Amino acid sequence: MPLEYTPLDHVPLPPKDAQVYTTACDYCIVGCGYKVYRWPVDAPAGGPRAAENAFGVDFPSGTLRPWVSPNQHNIVRVDGREHHVVVVPDFETQVVNRSGNHSIRGGTLALKCYNPETPTRERLLYPMIRVNGELQRVDWDTALEVMAAVSKHVLANYGEAAWAMKTYSYEFFENTFAITKLAFGAIKTPAFSQHDKPAMGNDTAGLDDSGLINFSPSYDDWQMADVLFISGTDPYETKTVLFTEFMMKGPKLIMVLPRRTAGVAFAESRGGLFLQVVPGTDTLLHLAISRVILENGWEDREFIERWIATSWEINSGMGRGTRNTPWQWRTTWGQFGTDFQGYRDWLLGYEWAELDRASQVTGVPKEKIVQAAEMLTGAGGERPKASFGLEKGNYWSNNYLNTASFTAMALLCGAGNRPGQVIGRLGGHQRGWMKFAGYPRDKSPEKLPGRRKVELDLDRWVEAGKVRFAWVIGATWTAAMAASQEFERRFREMTRDNPHQITSLDKDRIIETLIRRVDSGGMVVTVSDIYPVVPMGTEFADIVLPAAAWGEHDTTRCNGERRLRLYSKFYDPPGEAKPDWWAISRFAQKMGFQGFDWETGNDVFEEAARFSRGGILDYYALVWKAKQEGKTGHEKLRELGTTGIQTPIRVENGELVGTKRLHDSTLKLGSPEGPTIHAKWLTHFRSHTGKALLIKTPWELFGDFFDYIKPRREEGEFWITNGRINEIWQSGFDDKRKPYMENRWPETFAEIHPEDAARLGIESGDYIRMYSDRVLIQTGGFNRVKPEEMRFTWLLENGYIRFGKADVQAVAIVTDAVPPGLIFTNFLEPGSPANSLVHRVPDPITNRYRFKLGTGKVERIGESPYKEDFRFMTFKPRDVG
Amino acid sequence: MASKPSELTPASLQEPRCEAADPAFLLSRRQFLFGVGATMTVLSMPGWLVRRGMPARVHAQVAEYPRQTIARLSALRTGDVLSFNYPWDHPQSLNFLVKLGERAGGGVGPDQDIVAFNSFCTHQGGPMAGTFRADIGVAGPCPIHWTTFDLTRHGMVVSGHATLGLPQILLEVDGDEIVAVGVMGLIFGYYDNRVDPSA
Repeated sequence: MPLEYTPLDHVPLPPKDAQVYTTACDYCIVGCGYKVYRWPVDAPAGGPRAAENAFGVDFPSGTLRPWVSPNQHNIVRVDGREHHVVVVPDFETQVVNRSGNHSIRGGTLALKCYNPETPTRERLLYPMIRVNGELQRVDWDTALEVMAAVSKHVLANYGEAAWAMKTYSYEFFENTFAITKLAFGAIKTPAFSQHDKPAMGNDTAGLDDSGLINFSPSYDDWQMADVLFISGTDPYETKTVLFTEFMMKGPKLIMVLPRRTAGVAFAESRGGLFLQVVPGTDTLLHLAISRVILENGWEDREFIERWIATSWEINSGMGRGTRNTPWQWRTTWGQFGTDFQGYRDWLLGYEWAELDRASQVTGVPKEKIVQAAEMLTGAGGERPKASFGLEKGNYWSNNYLNTASFTAMALLCGAGNRPGQVIGRLGGHQRGWMKFAGYPRDKSPEKLPGRRKVELDLDRWVEAGKVRFAWVIGATWTAAMAASQEFERRFREMTRDNPHQITSLDKDRIIETLIRRVDSGGMVVTVSDIYPVVPMGTEFADIVLPAAAWGEHDTTRCNGERRLRLYSKFYDPPGEAKPDWWAISRFAQKMGFQGFDWETGNDVFEEAARFSRGGILDYYALVWKAKQEGKTGHEKLRELGTTGIQTPIRVENGELVGTKRLHDSTLKLGSPEGPTIHAKWLTHFRSHTGKALLIKTPWELFGDFFDYIKPRREEGEFWITNGRINEIWQSGFDDKRKPYMENRWPETFAEIHPEDAARLGIESGDYIRMYSDRVLIQTGGFNRVKPEEMRFTWLLENGYIRFGKADVQAVAIVTDAVPPGLIFTNFLEPGSPANSLVHRVPDPITNRYRFKLGTGKVERIGESPYKEDFRFMTFKPRDVG
Repeated sequence: MASKPSELTPASLQEPRCEAADPAFLLSRRQFLFGVGATMTVLSMPGWLVRRGMPARVHAQVAEYPRQTIARLSALRTGDVLSFNYPWDHPQSLNFLVKLGERAGGGVGPDQDIVAFNSFCTHQGGPMAGTFRADIGVAGPCPIHWTTFDLTRHGMVVSGHATLGLPQILLEVDGDEIVAVGVMGLIFGYYDNRVDPSA
C-alpha cells in the first residue's frame, strides 16, 4: 500500500538567527539555487512579521513571494542534536531559478534528508556482507579488505577487463574524480561504463563530430531565441525551470515528440508547432525539413560561407574532422563528411528525404514539415533567431544519425555560435563528471572494422561472462539498461546461483569463498548506494557500502550551462555512511595504490582542478585565486553562493570571469591572463579548422533494424516508448520515500490511446501487463573486421542476435495524448523496468541503446486499487492548455 | 476502496482538542471526505511532528476552523462555480466551490460531486480562480507556470510544480446548506491556516 501522507496546514518559519547554507538542487540538469535554513529543535521558530523571520518577509506573503510549504521542512541531526531544516529556492538569486521558481522535485528536497521517523529510514547505514543470503553488518575495514583481496585475485588471474565498474557520471566532482583515478589511473580497466549507457564515449556523437560541444549554450539563449526546435523531450516535464523560467518567456516552440504533453499544450497555445513523430524516425524529419529549406534557398548563406568547413578543410590536417573521428571505420566508408555543396547535392537527390516519403514514415503531415522549415528560417523574409535543443527521445532512438542530421539542419539555419542562435543538449542530470584520465581505449577488447579500438559494451561483456568483479556505484545497472529482465537473469546466474556463497562472517573464509566463485566463472558484486537498490543491491550484491548523500558533505558540480556551485553540507550522514570518494580512497590504499590519501572533499576538489585545465569544466582559476587569498577551493566557491560561476573559468584583470556560452563568435578575448587557457572552441567550433561540419546521414544504416523491430500491428504489437515524468526523478529513489510524491505516483503507469484501450477492455486505473518474447539481444562480436559487420542484418544472419523475454506491469492511463499503437511509460521503475522491452542492440557506431524503441504486446490484468481511491494517482490529462 | 477511512485529514483535525470538541462533528467531516458510511478510526499526525512541530508561542494563537455557510445545495447546478473567502477574510483565503458532475474525494451532496478549493496555486501563488475546466474536473493550468490540479482527487497535482496539492476546503451539508468546516493543506503565503492574518 502507498505511504501515509498528511497534508499539514502549518509549517515552522525559520527564525532570524537560523543558520543559512547555499546549495543547488540534487536533481535535474537545470540546477536551481536553493537555501537551507537550519535551527535547533529546542530553539524558537520564526514569527510572521518581517522582523521575526529569516526571510525578512511579512506572512501571509503573496504571489511570487517567499513561502514555505510543509513539504519543504524536515528534522535532521547535527552532532547528534536534532535541527529543523527548511529547504527553499533562493528567492534572491538572479540566475537559473530567478524569483524563487522551482520544480516539484527540487521543491521537495527537504523530504530527501535522512530522518529516521520518515521513510528515509530505509537509508543504508553500515557496510554489509551477504551471509547465507542475508546482508549483515560489518565494519568498513572488513568490507574493503574483502574487496581488495578479491580484486587482486581477479586482476592477477583474469586481467583488468575482468574488473568492472558501473557508476553514476554526475554525483559530484569529488566522487567522480576519485572513481576515475582508481578505474582509469590505477586499475586501468576498460570494463567501465556510466549509469545510462553500456559504453563510455560521447552521447551525442553527431553533434560532437559536427564540431559542437553539447552544453555550449547558456540558459539565456533559450529565451533570447525567436523560435526553438525542441527534439525528443518536453523540458516542462524534465528540466522544468529551464522551460518555465526561460522557454515560456519568448520564443515560439516547435516540439518533436511522439506524445502530447503539458509543454506541447503550452507551445500550441502560443502559436507553436507540435510534430508528432513515429519513434525512431527523427532523422527523416530532419532531412525533410532541411530539404525544404534547401529547395527554397532559405538556408543562412552568409553563415554557411563563413562557418561551414569546405571539402579541403575537412580532408586536411589532423584533429577533428570526419576523417579523424574516434570511429575510423566511418572514414573507411567515406560516406559521412561533406561540404555544403556536397550536402546539398546529396540531400536533394536522396529519396528518403523527399517530403512525401518522410511524411509517410515519420507520421508528420507534410504541411507541418514545411511550416517548421518556414518558422525556423523566416521563409525568405526576415530571418528569426532559431535555436535547437535535443535530448534523449532524439539521441536514444537512433543515436548517430539523429544527432548528426539534427545538427546539419540547425547549421543550415545559421545556429551554433551566436547569442540566441545555439545548438545544444538540454540535459537530463547535472554535469558532475570530473575525470582523472581518459578511458583506456587501448585496453578495450572491442574493436570496429579497421584498426580502431572502441569503448567496450560492458553489458554485452557481462552477458558473455567476462566480468569477475563488479563495483556498482549509485546506479541501478539492470533496470537502466536494455532488456533489463534478461540482464537480471544473467546477473543472477553469475552471482546468487553460483554454488560458492558466503556462509560465515569470518573474513578469511569470505575471501576464500568469493575467490572460488570467481574461479568457477562467477562474479562478485559490490554496491555503493544510499538506499537498497532493486535488484542489484537487494539480490545480487555480496558487499554493500553506505554512501553519504547531497547535503551530508560539501560537494561540487556544474549544471546545464556549466555553472559551478558548492553544494553545502548542512547535516551529518547517517550511521557510518561515507562519501564515495572516501570509500574509493580507502579501498585504493588497501590495494597498495599511491595518491589516494585524501582527508577531505576539498583535497580531492583542489587536486582535480589541475585535471580540469583546458577542458569545458575548467575551474583551475578558481583554486588558483583561492590560494592567492589564503582560502580553500571549497571556501572560495562557497562565497559565490547559488550564483556560482560558469566554466571554463578565466581570469580578467585579476578577477575570475565565467564563460556564458561556448563557440561564441561575439566573445572578445584579450591575452590569456594567469592560469587562463583560451581554447579555440570558446569562439569557434570544436574542429580542426574551427568551422562546423555537415554530416550526411543515410537512413539505410538504420533502416534494416527499424523495419525489423517496427511493431506488427496485426499481431497486436505496440511501440512501448518511455521517458521521464515531471514528478519522478530517475529511479524514484527519493520520490518513493516522499509521501506526497509517492501518493501521486504509487506505481508506474502506461498511457494508452482510447481506441486501443477499448479494443483490449482497458480503463484508466486498470493494471496491464506489457510483454514480449521477441526482445532482441546482441551477443558477442567484439572483434569486428569487415564493414558489413556493423549492420543489423549481418548480426542477425550470423547468429549474433538472440531473442529474450520481458513482462512488466503498470497502471493504465487512457488518453489521446498518445497516438493509437503507442504506449508511453516511465523510463525507470526498478521493480517493473520498461527497459525490459527495449532491444539490447546498440547503435553500432556509438554503442548507444535505442532506449525509446521498446515494443511488445499488452493485456489487461485487472483493477488497481487506485481506480476508485481518490487519495492516490490521478488519471486526468496532463496536456491541458 | 472509496469508503475506506483515510489518513488524508488536516493535522489540526487530528489533534485531541479537536476530537474532544465534538466527536459527532468530526465524524460528519469524515463522512464528507470519504463518503457516507465511512468507519471512523482515530488517526494521528506523524509523531515526530507532534513532538517537535510548532513552537508553543504559535500554539497559543491557534483557533479552531470556523463553520461558514457557503451555498445552498438546491441552487447548485453541475458546472456552477462560486467563490468565497474562508477561513479568513483575507485575499489569499479566496476559494472556489464547484459542482463537478462526477464523484470526487471529499465531495458532498447527493452525488458527492461538490468540492471546494483555495484559489492560489501552491507553487508560487498564481491565481487559479477562473481556470476550472468543467469538462475534465481539473483546475488549471495556472497562468504563471502551468500547474494543473485534479479536483476529484483532493486537489492533487496532475502536472506541474506545486509541493502540495491545492488546499481543499472541507465541506459538509446541513439541511440545504453547504458549510465550510476546515482546510486540508497549507494555503499559499500562510504559515498556519488557523492564525487570523489580520490579528
